[in-house]
Amino acid sequence: MATNKHVNAIVVGSGAGGGVVAKELSYAGLSVVLFERGGWVPYAAHGDDELTAMRSFPLACFFGPDNERYRRVAVDQQGNERIVYPNDWAYHNISACVGSGTVNYGAMAWRFMEECFTMKSTYGHVEGSTLEDWPISYDDLEPYYEKAEWEIGVAGDDSKNPFAPWRRKPHPMPPFSHNKEARILEEAAKKIGYHPFSIPMLRNSEEFDGRPACVHVRNCVGFACPVDAKNGTQNTVIPKAIDTGNCELRINSQVVKILTDSNGRATGVEYYDEQDRKHTQTADIVILSASATETPRLMFNSATNLYPDGIGNRYDWLGRNLQGHAYCGADGLFEEEIYDGIGPGASVAAGDFAHNNPDVIGGAVLTNEFIKLPYAYSRGFRPPGSSQWGREHKDFQKHYYKRNASIRGPVQEMPNFESRVEVAPDVLDHWGMPVAKISGFKHHEDIRTAEFIAEKAAKWLEAAGAYKVWKSIPGTGVSGSQHQSGTCRMGNDPQTSVTDKYGRVHEVDNLFVADGSLHVTNGAFNPVLTIMALGYWVSDYIVKEWKGGNRFK
Amino acid sequence: MNKENSFDTLSRRSFLKVSAIWAGGAWIVGVPSLSANPHRVLTESEAEIMDALADAIIPPGEYAGGKDAWVTRFIDQQIGRYGYLQHDREMYQTCLPAINNDCRNEFGDVFTRLDKENQAEFLKAVEAGQYNPQAAERGWGDFTPSAFFNTMCNQCMMGFYGSPIHGGNRDYVSYRMLSLY
Repeated sequence: MATNKHVNAIVVGSGAGGGVVAKELSYAGLSVVLFERGGWVPYAAHGDDELTAMRSFPLACFFGPDNERYRRVAVDQQGNERIVYPNDWAYHNISACVGSGTVNYGAMAWRFMEECFTMKSTYGHVEGSTLEDWPISYDDLEPYYEKAEWEIGVAGDDSKNPFAPWRRKPHPMPPFSHNKEARILEEAAKKIGYHPFSIPMLRNSEEFDGRPACVHVRNCVGFACPVDAKNGTQNTVIPKAIDTGNCELRINSQVVKILTDSNGRATGVEYYDEQDRKHTQTADIVILSASATETPRLMFNSATNLYPDGIGNRYDWLGRNLQGHAYCGADGLFEEEIYDGIGPGASVAAGDFAHNNPDVIGGAVLTNEFIKLPYAYSRGFRPPGSSQWGREHKDFQKHYYKRNASIRGPVQEMPNFESRVEVAPDVLDHWGMPVAKISGFKHHEDIRTAEFIAEKAAKWLEAAGAYKVWKSIPGTGVSGSQHQSGTCRMGNDPQTSVTDKYGRVHEVDNLFVADGSLHVTNGAFNPVLTIMALGYWVSDYIVKEWKGGNRFK
Repeated sequence: MNKENSFDTLSRRSFLKVSAIWAGGAWIVGVPSLSANPHRVLTESEAEIMDALADAIIPPGEYAGGKDAWVTRFIDQQIGRYGYLQHDREMYQTCLPAINNDCRNEFGDVFTRLDKENQAEFLKAVEAGQYNPQAAERGWGDFTPSAFFNTMCNQCMMGFYGSPIHGGNRDYVSYRMLSLY
């Protein structure tokens, strides 16, 4: 077993959370090793191939992980278990590459609203749900949202959104204008009293920080950007961290275990390099940013005599409350072509139904959908009862590809204790470690809210002139996937949470979490900007402690 | 239409020639190249059934159907040694002949020789699960006819609507159909 030079901090995972932490700590002068199990995936490596991109990936996930070394166990609502591979939806994959999902995301850059942090005090106790307030408020996180927007780069204008939370500083780039479909939808929204505005995006509406403006390709969400106009951690904070000379990015390195000493303190990690050689890396501080599935898995797989059920799991909260979003909406068909091919497609939003709706808990922001690529369009987006093959199917594809629009909303879910990530002790990955096992269901309130939101989406499409409109309501299976969150809940009470409000794991004062796992609830919006803001928030605490002389020893 | 057809014929011929040489060299040394099967995994008879299925799933018309868009070639490549769908190889090798077999029992002739209406009627029944009971006894092995249909149908769509780099969507025919180029 090879041993590396001791460093101040290890960050596991280079996605939205970990990339930010690596930059913040290395700027503060700490020596950092940033672990990433994948490598760099530039646009040139995959091009515009829909079948392996991160949107529908029926053949494979080009951004990783691979089907050879990785698997999970998926448990359905009847309790049946099956082994699943990364390109199966039930795997709940994000991406395994430098930048993770921030390389290929749709890049919506939402701030959660104030109410998203105070769900329990806003809506009260919900039977069958672990609904709770965050231990921090929107006001606490506001400066860190601002930092994410300005350092990573967001185009937007909240002044057009009357439901936007307060902010001190505008977005650093002007908002995007709309394509033909979104212009039609914008006018329609105004007609029925909705308040449309341009979706804030982690994408350049003009040259920003040395990277060019967006060229509006069709293949945007699910793909790396051909001109580097989409801002992820891989082309912003990670290069900056490396430039300090304090941060080493160690790619193709699979961390398998957090090492702890006899006092229960973290001493480093054990990992395998690309040639499957086992190494240890020691550090003063360990930060886990491996996603809401892989972070708890790592904590389970690091069990010791002191932590028999996994680190941070004394009260059985580790891996619980897995959430994503209960996506719902409506689809519509139009007489005329409304498609002009100007990507990425999603650009118009309405925040009218994110909160304070009559008779339902929470809600969702509504946006139009990204451009559907040909294979994806062949597999869905048809009125109920439509042929899935044959002449009628082909004619539908040809006729409606440019005559359809969809509105979608990420319904904020009611967290529940039984939706969870565990490990399957008898199913091992390539390195012999127990894989993640995912089980659970959506709370019935999520479906009720989805029906409410879908109705609002349908009304919008009808107002836009769609002559046929139908609603899309999610199934009751567990959520997670690209919006996975909640499995290492932050809280003030160690008996009902996994970390404190700074992301520090209860009982282990030099082990932190900085990813979507921390979310108490997952907002009525896409979560990535919140994960980035939490990266800054957690880092800020660590840096202040460090500068105050705390060496976490 | 005429232009498209003549272009199709030409490309099809040159493809067969190239494949035959490759196939002769790499796989079946000594077999005269004229009769060589251009596919890597599927036998000629399996490929013929797959072609007929592909055309039933995506019928030819103003634009090529599944067969001429090389959906079979896509599937053959993907279930082959370097493909992404190797795990489905055995399924195709088992279920394609089983399709013909069930068809013969039901219509008195193999699938490839049925007219389009009967093919569609038969496939709708397979899709609906009407052939699921006792399928193993009729040559389906461990596979369920309706599940095979769903997987096969989905993979036909991949071959037709996905990028040509995977072996299908010949000359970007589906993208042209959608006026994307």
